[in-house]
Amino acid sequence: MRVIRVFVTISAGILLATAALQAHHSFSATYDGNKPITLRGTIVKLGWQNPHAHIYVDVKNADGKVVTWEVESAGPTTLMKQGLRKEDFVGQEVIIKGFLAKDGTPTVNASSFTLVEAKKEFVNDEKTP
Amino acid sequence: MKRWTMAISVAVALGAQAISLAQAGTDFSGTWRLNQAKSSRAIVGNTPDIQFASQLEVKQSATDISIVGTSVRQQPVSAVYKLDGTKVNVQAPEGITETGEAKLNGMMLVITSRRAFSSPAGDVVVDFKEVWSRTGNELTVEKTRTQSGDSSTQKAVYDKL
Repeated sequence: MRVIRVFVTISAGILLATAALQAHHSFSATYDGNKPITLRGTIVKLGWQNPHAHIYVDVKNADGKVVTWEVESAGPTTLMKQGLRKEDFVGQEVIIKGFLAKDGTPTVNASSFTLVEAKKEFVNDEKTP
Repeated sequence: MKRWTMAISVAVALGAQAISLAQAGTDFSGTWRLNQAKSSRAIVGNTPDIQFASQLEVKQSATDISIVGTSVRQQPVSAVYKLDGTKVNVQAPEGITETGEAKLNGMMLVITSRRAFSSPAGDVVVDFKEVWSRTGNELTVEKTRTQSGDSSTQKAVYDKL
């Protein structure tokens, strides 16, 4: 019985560690540095979690079709240090500069994003002077 | 008379050599590795503002310059540019079409290019301008990215291997 408990504990630990590693993947593994993109749309949802905040943005194509993009940004702590709060997001118009995902899905890694109404740009922590 | 002819011949030869050297400009040949400490902070780390190659392989002749840029886990981008500014096709990764041109401008090399690819948001067009300059074993590349009416410029410094 004790052996089973130890086994279950270790397995759960490994699973949690794997999940954390997957969440904190490197840019080069997931995103295409040769495909920079600028998007303009409306924030519809927010994933305010570490290590990266995920912003979901509705972007209208040239043909009028709306596609929801997943935007990986800096972590919440970094964004809060720049004066951004979770409640600032939803419904806001935003311009995102970043790089496309390698898998062709509407996913982008943001190097910066600008809240249009507030005229405020938020950047990745590594670019903050 | 003979002395005058000889003096003029020497002057013409020296002038031609000077013009030839000026046209040749800087030689950028070599293997160059990105020096993160000397480059803009915005291009290093996990989310670059503008992507620069980690390493450049450059071969230059009197008429052409061949550039191969490689980065970790990214597809290489290579091109053979004519130094007279003729437009050429860049060998970009699958799904990307790119044309560009290069020209020596004094001691600098100026490369302009236009990249196009499709995305879930539609077709994307990006313009790049690179200004290369060399001081000894240090290569500086100033790159401007223009997209959707917005421009940003960053600087990368490379060391010669």
